[in-house]
Amino acid sequence: MKYAPDRSTVSRELKMTRVHRISSRSDLFPRLVAMQKLMDAQNFAIYRVAGSGLPSRLHLVCELENWGPGNLTASKSIVDAYGEDMLEHIEKSLLPLMWNGIDDDRTAEAIDFTQFTQRLKSKMLPCAGVAFPVRLGTVGNGFVVFTANFIDLTSELIIDLHGRSCQIMMDLLSLDERRSSAVESLSEREIACLQLAGDGRISEEIAEKLGLSVHTVNAYLGSATIKLDSVNRIQAIAKSIRLGYIS
Amino acid sequence: MDMHMLHATRRDSEAVIPTIAARTMTRDQLILRLTDVAGSPLIHSGLRALTDYLGASHYMLARCDLLQESGLDFVMSSDWPFDLVRRLASDLVSTYVRTTEFEKCLMLFQPSFSVLPDDVTLPEGSSRQYCSLTFNVGRTRLSLMLLYRDGFILSPERLREVGLLTGYFASFGHCVEGKGERSFELTDRELECLFWIAEGKTSDEIAMILGISRNTINNYITSVMRKTATKTRSEAIAFAVRNNLV
Repeated sequence: MKYAPDRSTVSRELKMTRVHRISSRSDLFPRLVAMQKLMDAQNFAIYRVAGSGLPSRLHLVCELENWGPGNLTASKSIVDAYGEDMLEHIEKSLLPLMWNGIDDDRTAEAIDFTQFTQRLKSKMLPCAGVAFPVRLGTVGNGFVVFTANFIDLTSELIIDLHGRSCQIMMDLLSLDERRSSAVESLSEREIACLQLAGDGRISEEIAEKLGLSVHTVNAYLGSATIKLDSVNRIQAIAKSIRLGYIS
Repeated sequence: MDMHMLHATRRDSEAVIPTIAARTMTRDQLILRLTDVAGSPLIHSGLRALTDYLGASHYMLARCDLLQESGLDFVMSSDWPFDLVRRLASDLVSTYVRTTEFEKCLMLFQPSFSVLPDDVTLPEGSSRQYCSLTFNVGRTRLSLMLLYRDGFILSPERLREVGLLTGYFASFGHCVEGKGERSFELTDRELECLFWIAEGKTSDEIAMILGISRNTINNYITSVMRKTATKTRSEAIAFAVRNNLV
């Protein structure tokens, strides 16, 4: 039974390694602006991969940006130009993406690091840009994107910025986690039943294993289904794995 | 990989930590060495360079998705003593299943230190602690594990760089294929059914959505359960979610 042991110690360790927890999305802005300044870029944006299942159902959603109200189309134009390439890229690679703008002087360069960056098609957008892919796991994946008239990056700067991008995507995910944990959380018993059901046990087997009656097991699974805002136990199992309640 | 294994065994008999001549390697030198070997199907020379840059002694790059299967297929490249890898395999699995996917997502590139079991023979002068950090290349989660001399302190900055560069390095294909192929043993239709079941739809509803009969849907699901060796619908969905198929 994998559900119970040591969960508390693990989460305590986790907190120790992640000291500076942020309290809202606005805390991310100064850090993104600092990165933007470091590389002399004009704008930043964070895109996350949304939707699950078949590749055709995935899409990029802009979560944060500083294009301002005057430039509502900027976020969409990047997705239109490069969305598919970016989604395909993050499925197989961690290498940063770069692209050149329409005008010949709108370029993005990384002279000493060409081997470790990939180019997207040139002359699709007015500005040049760089996108750092961040793949956390089953959730929270996406890109931190910077755009500018001219970009010239060293390997040192790329590594630094990509590292910070990873931290930002983790912080963004942990914010989501706290928002959803405000919703009623699952009890130990409910989690135990979900775990066993996900391992392929039928209610009778779960009942025997936990020393409960079949009706009680079904009641636990039912209440877990409601708490997880699901319509049946299968959806509840899928959600509880994605949310990390069971493994 | 077999070659690496032999390599590791040979090293084991010497059981000495290689002298770290390149300890003062600069980042530029590292990048040059990596650029030279990038794209080559043998990743050990790149990993060696990264390990030297860090000042560590032995590296192991492992695929977390294969940890729970029997055998040592999870080792992608390693110069750890072979017996140590074999002894550690079961411990790695139990540590791995103890954290949830969510916690793993928040541990990207975060170095953590663990202690090796007392009954293993270490290379001479090696610390009983080892350092590991995980990252993802596409759908595959990888773990980089490092041994180092007793008393040596790994630089956190360099650890972060090395983690990222290992990820770049592993992005050059070759290494993380295989799992992808395995997931595509399922047909598009089967994946589509799985997706809708995970969304809480019943067979009848899916039949309506896809415009095919309920029996066909049930056949797809039976076939999924056969291919994934799962006993119930719930387990099949759990399998699909765990393996990022839906």
